[in-house]
Amino acid sequence: MRGPSWSPRNKAGMERDRRFWRIVLLTPPLLVFAVLIVWPLLSSFYYSFTNWNGFSSNYQFVGLSNFQKIWTDRLFFQATINTIIWMVSALLLPTLLGLVLALLLDSKVRGRKFFKTIFYLPICLSAIVVGQIWIWIYQPNWGLLNTLIEEITGDRFRYAWLAKPDSALFSVIIAWSWQQTGLSMVIYLAGLTAIPSEILESSASEGATTWKRIWYIIIPLLVSSTTVVIALSLINSLKGFDILYVMTGGGPFNSSDTLAMHMYNESFKKYLIGYGSSISVVLFLIALIIIGIYFRQLRKVDQIYG
Amino acid sequence: MKYINRRTLLGTLFALAFIGLTTPALAQSEVTISHYFTGELGLKAFGEQMEKFEAATSYKMKNSPVGHEDFKTDILVRASGNSLPDVFSYWAGARVQFIADSESLKPIDQMWNQAGLDKIVAKTVADSATMYNGKRFLVPFNYHYSGMFYNTKVMADAGITEMPTDWNGFLALCKELKSNGITPIALGSKNRWPAQFWFDYLLLRSAGPDYRAQLMAGKASYDDPQVKQAMGMWKALVDAGYFIESANANTWTDASDQVARGDAAMTLMGTWITGYWNGLGLVPGADYDFFPFPSIMAGVPSASVGPVDGLVIGANTTNPKGAEEFLKFMVSDTGVQAAWSKAQGALSANVNVDASNYNSVMLKAFETVKNSDAFAFNYDLATPPPVAEVGLSMFARFMDDPSRVDEIMKQTAQDVAGAFKE
Amino acid sequence: MFGYKKTDGSDIYPWPVVIFIILSILSILFLAPTVGILLSSIKTTKDIALGELWTIPSELYFGNYVEVLDNPAVGQYFINTLLVTVPATFASIVLGSLAGYVFAKLPFRGSEILFLILVSGMFFPPQVILIPLFRLFNSIGLIDTLWPIFLVHTALGIPICSLLMRNFFSTIPAEVREAAILDGANEWQILTRIALPLSLSALAVLATLQFTWIWNDFLWPLIFTQSDEKRTIMIGIVNLRGQYTVAWGVQGALSLVASLPTIIIFLFFQRYFIKGMTMGAVKG
Repeated sequence: MRGPSWSPRNKAGMERDRRFWRIVLLTPPLLVFAVLIVWPLLSSFYYSFTNWNGFSSNYQFVGLSNFQKIWTDRLFFQATINTIIWMVSALLLPTLLGLVLALLLDSKVRGRKFFKTIFYLPICLSAIVVGQIWIWIYQPNWGLLNTLIEEITGDRFRYAWLAKPDSALFSVIIAWSWQQTGLSMVIYLAGLTAIPSEILESSASEGATTWKRIWYIIIPLLVSSTTVVIALSLINSLKGFDILYVMTGGGPFNSSDTLAMHMYNESFKKYLIGYGSSISVVLFLIALIIIGIYFRQLRKVDQIYG
Repeated sequence: MKYINRRTLLGTLFALAFIGLTTPALAQSEVTISHYFTGELGLKAFGEQMEKFEAATSYKMKNSPVGHEDFKTDILVRASGNSLPDVFSYWAGARVQFIADSESLKPIDQMWNQAGLDKIVAKTVADSATMYNGKRFLVPFNYHYSGMFYNTKVMADAGITEMPTDWNGFLALCKELKSNGITPIALGSKNRWPAQFWFDYLLLRSAGPDYRAQLMAGKASYDDPQVKQAMGMWKALVDAGYFIESANANTWTDASDQVARGDAAMTLMGTWITGYWNGLGLVPGADYDFFPFPSIMAGVPSASVGPVDGLVIGANTTNPKGAEEFLKFMVSDTGVQAAWSKAQGALSANVNVDASNYNSVMLKAFETVKNSDAFAFNYDLATPPPVAEVGLSMFARFMDDPSRVDEIMKQTAQDVAGAFKE
Repeated sequence: MFGYKKTDGSDIYPWPVVIFIILSILSILFLAPTVGILLSSIKTTKDIALGELWTIPSELYFGNYVEVLDNPAVGQYFINTLLVTVPATFASIVLGSLAGYVFAKLPFRGSEILFLILVSGMFFPPQVILIPLFRLFNSIGLIDTLWPIFLVHTALGIPICSLLMRNFFSTIPAEVREAAILDGANEWQILTRIALPLSLSALAVLATLQFTWIWNDFLWPLIFTQSDEKRTIMIGIVNLRGQYTVAWGVQGALSLVASLPTIIIFLFFQRYFIKGMTMGAVKG
């Protein structure tokens, strides 16, 4: 059975063939993507030059004034800083914890299947209920956390984790990391099983200590698992909107706002669709930069390990 | 060839997605409605009232409930697509004003007059909640009143028999409670809005309804001495330790629970708290009661604060007749009004609803509103949404650290001025 | 006792007992929130309101579960969620595989930029496209059907699926492909008969994740559906929140029931997770 226009001796024919398949294979995904993602994104960017409020059919073009407003928006800067904090910690915490768990679980310890399921379980739960349960963990008077602290120290402890601007964002990040760790753990576990046992054996016979073996042999071999984990974490960190929305809603007084939350508040609570859209344009540009960096690193990794 | 078949299959799948789907044209007898009366009590009770309408007329209701935070988004998105439901619930005041300004609502003057709703809807509510830009847009489905709800047993144990009517009396009450080891005031401002009633009443009772209306409309500044004075009184209460700690960590139900448990004596809250407490098995009058917010300045008209849940008609409705019928029925049918206000722990705007429908506490609330000089919307319904966002955050910030009140107010004045320019 | 067996490499980590204890402690920490949800589901809303959530209940209260299972709407919610989740998971993986294959094996001038644009589609909050999409679906009369939810989730899944599949496909040795071409296979045949079967683990990972994400989403169903017969299980949970109160106990019970399918999917797919991964993207 041969392909329609394929001819082994004809290079041009082969290129024609490839072009044919590129078009055939790429058209469906790109079409769906263009219609349902790119076009809506572009039209939302269009609103960023208007003062539309969502309700009124009358709106004016206001040029770049929405973007000028961003520079004077105190909350925007706060949100940008929080977004960076959120992304970095949402990247580091679940990744590191997942790696540690994977390494521990890879030791053929008793009950690893059981442990693995427990660590993965949180991902199966929806943001609504996860957010709520963490609210109850952080509840100052009878929450689990403060109760435990009181049990251990014996002193009265009523710190309101989610209500204090210093701790609100981080408290949500902890909850978020709790939910996401299982994901990186599973991927790292897969990566670990892929490491040929001969490599480990030979290093062991050369007398390398466990730490050295982990640091110099196993971790470098997990680089491409890491690229997958990072990609997933980055994507997910934006899905983290839901849990933040449930737990603090960006509060107290906007101290845990991220850009996504800020955009939501401006668009849907203040009905400033135009301004909200301009925030999402900026958010999108930031995302492009991050992805650019990610791809550069990915290519480096490909060159070294590919 | 197998691979062709698979591709055909895929193609068919997507073709199917776009073809073969037609929404049936809405029958004229169907009225679509979207509302925020969710939760166990809301959904069921609202469904029952709709059934009464369906039984009384030939219309069918197509129901779409959405939880109230998401509801705002939902209505906005639907308005943006010119696809508002025939009828939807909305909060009277600045929010309805906003969508009326955007010409997203259909006026109901004709229906209002024909049905003689002037004689049915309580005048205080009709005056404040139904007219926007000179036209009638809303029928009040129910309203709430915000007052000082307290635990009767806690008060009795502290030897308090008379509830205060003026500010000095109130301060004395707090002091007395405090000296008995009871935190006087519970507040759950996690979601910000429960704190607004304090600002509302302190300002209304000291600077008066007229000044407040100006402030809400952007004609006065948050820098004014009137605002400073109100915030100063609030701060004095917090500084004296009369408020429960970590107000921002609690929701309003947490605060209500604190009062119910006796951890605190009272909380400034809307009448929906009675629905919540009754659900927990507390007995109105015996376990809890309320007193109106005390007067502060002599000669200042007494105003009652609360929200009005209204029903409005989308401008693009395809069934204006059915929508108007629905609005008319829901406000004027006393059976609906009685059952609904009872289920919600709300007050009915229908003057024909028999007062015996209310329990003793609700009856008192009803009388209080009736005898007050004016009805004012609570803060987030009284001022435009972008400004409300600024103000609500200000209250939460204030509760977090009252010592920074001057700095916070300066910032707020600036932000509010910016928000009014939107 | 802490050494490692050098012969089979199976026990090269020291202190299995210590590891077991560490894992046990961690798993208790990890389990605590989930137990909290479980506790909330067997308590009355009143108990939770009075701060009795974290205590061991003296008696089991199943009223919340009874309420959930007695509610005829819940069954419909489940069916609707399945009707959206399964096809959207499938379609996004299919489309992502197509794109991923081209980017991995048939690169062309500008394909990197195109890929970058495609992947950047994952990085915006979905609220950004809420209004344009609503207007789109509204204009073609698809609002209040399950189609928009299916379509949007399919589209939103394309970037992540292409990214993962591209990473995976690019690890398939070029020789395998060349050999197939010499045997006369075309690209479609290579994709479906060689590349995809070699990528079972990536497919399993994607199937699990996409299923979980789509299942747990509540934004799109909230906006795109209006009548109760079209709503998904997450909307059922959201609507347990009233304007002023929340039925905590019922919410806990419904949440647990609602997460059963995602747990089952994980348990079902997890063996492929590990096995396939060893061959492909994560090979290192």
